[in-house]
Amino acid sequence: MELVRVTTDAWGREVLEGISWDLLPVAVAIGAFVIVAHALWRFTRKGRKS
Amino acid sequence: MANEESGQRVLRHAAVDRLFHWLTALAVLTLLATGLSTVLGLKFSWVPIHWITGVVLTLAVLFHLVRAAFWQKLRCMWVGVRDFRDTLAHRPPGKYSLAQKLMHHAMSVVIVTAVATGLCMLAKVDTPWWKRNPYFFSADAWGIIYVLHGLAALLSITLIMIHVYFSLLPEKRLYLRAMWRGWITPAELAAHHDPRRWQGQRGERA
Repeated sequence: MELVRVTTDAWGREVLEGISWDLLPVAVAIGAFVIVAHALWRFTRKGRKS
Repeated sequence: MANEESGQRVLRHAAVDRLFHWLTALAVLTLLATGLSTVLGLKFSWVPIHWITGVVLTLAVLFHLVRAAFWQKLRCMWVGVRDFRDTLAHRPPGKYSLAQKLMHHAMSVVIVTAVATGLCMLAKVDTPWWKRNPYFFSADAWGIIYVLHGLAALLSITLIMIHVYFSLLPEKRLYLRAMWRGWITPAELAAHHDPRRWQGQRGERA
């Protein structure tokens, strides 16, 4: 998986083009992981309290 | 509940701040939808919507910065050692909890990065005020600007997901109501906040 996109300019030099869009599912996955982890922690804490 | 029924309320967010919040939310969602449309394979003329919404977001952020600096208490948002101590000891916070402050600051860094790089990228767009100039920055500088803009977009997706999740939790829904209608009840204030550090503004519900 690439972190950035690179291209070649008119002189054949490699230049940065932008962030790699391969990271889009990673951003969503990190958000989903935090949500699921917190939901599980909340559920187990509730279970212990009752 | 008695306070809710009796109509007492504590103002948490003024109307102008709620308007800023929802305008910013709408702008950021529009920017993400238009900016990522090509990544997701959609083809339409997204650039005009994107840059105009970006200018609206820039103006909203500038307004918020000025209002926060001169009309609001910046100290309310300051993260100090006390915030960590109170959180670990389960002591109620002042107006904002540590988590709320950290979310605000993370979102601020992301939005300001997106706005600053987006303003640079306006040089590549034809607007009513200027013609595009793709040579305004060097190729290397453009690369860094695009990477930072894209990184801000990706981080904002993660932060928005987490922000929306927490705002919908039953025990946090008072803050969603406060951001929509402005107020919490005195009972909620007593249960979730330290009244010595934040009392809000008392009044009757309309």
